[in-house]
Amino acid sequence: MSSPDYLERNVENWTRWNARSSDDRAGEVWASEMTWGVFHVPESELDVLGDVAGLDVVELGCGTAYFSAWLARAGARPVGVDPTPAQLETARRLQAETGIQFPLVEAAGEDVPLPSASFDLALSEYGASIWADPYRWIPEAARLLRTGGRLVFLRNSTLVMLCMPETGVAEPTLLRPQFGMYRLEWPDDDGGGVEFQLPHGPLIDVLTSSGFAVERLVELQAPEGAEDPGPYSYVTAEWARQWPNEEIWVARKVDRVAA
Amino acid sequence: MSQRDVPDYVPGNVEVWTKANAEYTDASARESWAREEVTWGLWGIPDAELGVLGDVAGLDVVELGCGTAYFGARLARQGAHVVGVDPTLAQLETARRMQREFGLDVELVEGIGEAVPLPDASFDLAISEYGASIWADPNRWIPEAARLLRARGRLVFLRNSTLLTLCARLEGAAGESLQRPQRGLFRIKWPDTGEVEFEPPVGVLIDILHGSGFQVERLLELYAPEGAETHHYYDYVTAEWAQKWPNEEIWVARKIAK
Repeated sequence: MSSPDYLERNVENWTRWNARSSDDRAGEVWASEMTWGVFHVPESELDVLGDVAGLDVVELGCGTAYFSAWLARAGARPVGVDPTPAQLETARRLQAETGIQFPLVEAAGEDVPLPSASFDLALSEYGASIWADPYRWIPEAARLLRTGGRLVFLRNSTLVMLCMPETGVAEPTLLRPQFGMYRLEWPDDDGGGVEFQLPHGPLIDVLTSSGFAVERLVELQAPEGAEDPGPYSYVTAEWARQWPNEEIWVARKVDRVAA
Repeated sequence: MSQRDVPDYVPGNVEVWTKANAEYTDASARESWAREEVTWGLWGIPDAELGVLGDVAGLDVVELGCGTAYFGARLARQGAHVVGVDPTLAQLETARRMQREFGLDVELVEGIGEAVPLPDASFDLAISEYGASIWADPNRWIPEAARLLRARGRLVFLRNSTLLTLCARLEGAAGESLQRPQRGLFRIKWPDTGEVEFEPPVGVLIDILHGSGFQVERLLELYAPEGAETHHYYDYVTAEWAQKWPNEEIWVARKIAK
């Protein structure tokens, strides 16, 4: 399969970002409890994943692989997949430092060099879920999963993308149309990169046609008392207390014959 | 059903629809009934274009919150056996008048979508188009739709998009600024008319559907087509707004074995 046109640009972007922030922060994030999103809502509160002990997990777009590390600590057998060598380097350093070991594979979520039907859970948290084309990575996740396996991913809400200026933080105003929303290109001087954001309807279409049954959509908001997520954030706690800035999807690979 | 089982918001909503019927839906019923094509929403998008319902001939259909029953009439014309349910007597009166005029057979039942006086597992399709889908509590009417459907039957409903609800204004049409938080969004009492609407966000609605034994098959976010004009009575959203953002959405869910 040909490499997507946006891949090189996103890898460059994430290589820069790793040097600027995610390498420095990796130790702290690896040590954290399992949480979701920029406001760190604990998994223990949302109960999205349940007991993961003994599950074969593939993380698509693992970056520095902190989520896989959390899953490994909870007893799962994760495999981290990411196309950015610099981030995988950071992940290997943390593996050596913490002794938490699991396979890391350099590849894009659209085309994963792993066998079919070999995982119970496919996970993406700000990974392939936003940086890869959903018409390619979601069918690929379906291929990797066993029947009855789950796909769980976190992405930005469509609402926050509608309210996002070219630079700066989300506003309480619709700044771009939703009609035709699919691929968004950001200026390189503000992080850059090519993101994919399908609205709810088209995303449900991709999931359903890829053999998934949608089980849950958790729209995340900043908890009361949450602080702004940091200097590079695209959203303030004040905005996200009122509207969801992120969402977690849970879908199950169904037996197509029985479905 | 005893009077105390009638939800608190029903009398107010019936009052609003009695008024709307006198102002608009009674006078427009003939035109709505005369239109043969099944269309969806404010912009009248043909079902043939969206492929939502497909062939309905021979299906047992219940319409929850049928109003003047124009939607049911269109399905009946295509060979479906339709029962329309609505709590507003004035609208059912209009529906009966149209039935006589058009000679179409739609059974009309006075009732609320939250507690329908019809037997379990007796329909292939439950429909709500600006009916129970907006003016009834989804924690009550969606399990009720599940009860009425046979296994593998479909629930199809149209409602406002959450985005429109966030942008809706009391004076004038929806604009580009968010008027209210999504946090806690569920039941809205509009201060101008006193009507109570239910507008759960997509995540909450998926939970209710899933918890009621439905599998979500499709969500169609509807936009105004090129050349559409703002509706003269339902002017809370302009065609221009709805060309950029979806003002309505259609849900398709299937009843699965629990």
